[in-house]
Amino acid sequence: MTENSSSPANALITARGLGKHYGTFQALSGIDLDILKSEVTCLIGPSGSGKSTLLRCLNFLEAYDEGEVRIDGQLVGWQDGKASPRKPVSATKLREQRRQVGMVFQQFNLWPHMTAAQNVAEALVQVKGLSKAEARDKAILALARVNLRDKADNHPSALSGGQQQRVAIARAIAMEPRVVLFDEPTSALDPELVGEVLNVMRDLAADGMTMVVVTHEMGFAAHVANRVAFLDHGKLVACVPPDEIFRQDPADPRIRSFLQTYRERNVV
Amino acid sequence: MDFSFQVISHNFPYLVSAARWTILISFLGMLVGLLLGIGICAARLSHHGWLRRAAALYISFFRGVPLLVQLLAFFYILPYAGVNLPATVAAFLSIGMCSAAYNAEILRGSLQAISPGQREAADALGIPPLALWRRILVPQALRIGLPSHINELILLVKVSSLASVVGIGELTRVAQNITGQTYRPLEIYMATAVIYFVINALIAWGGRRLERRLGVGQR
Repeated sequence: MTENSSSPANALITARGLGKHYGTFQALSGIDLDILKSEVTCLIGPSGSGKSTLLRCLNFLEAYDEGEVRIDGQLVGWQDGKASPRKPVSATKLREQRRQVGMVFQQFNLWPHMTAAQNVAEALVQVKGLSKAEARDKAILALARVNLRDKADNHPSALSGGQQQRVAIARAIAMEPRVVLFDEPTSALDPELVGEVLNVMRDLAADGMTMVVVTHEMGFAAHVANRVAFLDHGKLVACVPPDEIFRQDPADPRIRSFLQTYRERNVV
Repeated sequence: MDFSFQVISHNFPYLVSAARWTILISFLGMLVGLLLGIGICAARLSHHGWLRRAAALYISFFRGVPLLVQLLAFFYILPYAGVNLPATVAAFLSIGMCSAAYNAEILRGSLQAISPGQREAADALGIPPLALWRRILVPQALRIGLPSHINELILLVKVSSLASVVGIGELTRVAQNITGQTYRPLEIYMATAVIYFVINALIAWGGRRLERRLGVGQR
């Protein structure tokens, strides 16, 4: 691990020897992963393989137990140093670190008592200290980017799932994060609403946004991702360009059998 | 004894005037109870063990001791500590402090009904705890708990009659006084009951309107 711990110069996030356990259950172990700037990295794998846990470790929504996550060289969540056991950074410091990382959740997690524009503007006011008017202008711009300019004053309950998820994406990107994490962004959506969300994500990728996407949308992974990381039983099996995963006979048997289930299902 | 509407019509203005105190004490009590209740609920859910224990102690005391006893204690014991409050202030503070215990528990239940994902979204954005509470958790908890808070306010209107024991001329006290002068308990207490009922019916009606406006229950 220490041997190959040097990371590419354009790595934004580096995970080294990352491990996480719940009691005796080892959810993640020995993950070495680089998230490169302006790239889309998709995390795929069977359910329970640790994809979401890995994603949530990147902004310390889950406190990892072993190894490290660094954003631009700065250790996330834990105080840097030799102290053992490690101490968490202060709440203020953690908030500062999280500001650089946007997050989009499976269940959208919009605040239901606020309109779409208010959902987007809230953190701009509370975290970035913008005035209400500035925040609203910025929120409207962010909503326009996800094609929801006309829904700015609707409450989430008046929006479809796809629209709600796009508001959530607007909320994340309005903060101008350096990277956006997507935790199964289309898994809670009706099939006909998946496309609009994926299109917005495709646009973001084309604009050069660094993205890490946990997904079951193999089409998205195959066509939009720069690299696909395959996890199984909490271990990173491969992190390679999509061609190497999605070709007819992937090298690793675990990837082969995982993709087989998709191929079988998609043959109508 | 014949039922006399004249007794009622003659004394009605005094009762209505006294009802203003009833309303004042119960509404101010509710305001204190809500604001203090938010603080106590926050303490109850704090990371600090001593704050949690203090809040739990507060709640168990104010829920466990009869309000009448609290009122008397507030009114008669505080002066020994050098605190001399006007009876009305002592009354609404005392009612408010008791109500805070109930409102805190209503809020705690409402907060648990808010999906943890909303908190996570705020955490991921780096929203500080005070803003999280003020802007996201409390406004929603108050909406979710609105029917229960209205319930609490209705209870307070009735419970404010206890303030008669510390000499405040609220509705029940004045009804007692008038009865003492007129020997007409039937008419006076019936009129008093109607006034309490109307106040609470209006509160219930206002509560339902507020629920509809805020879209409670259709999240």
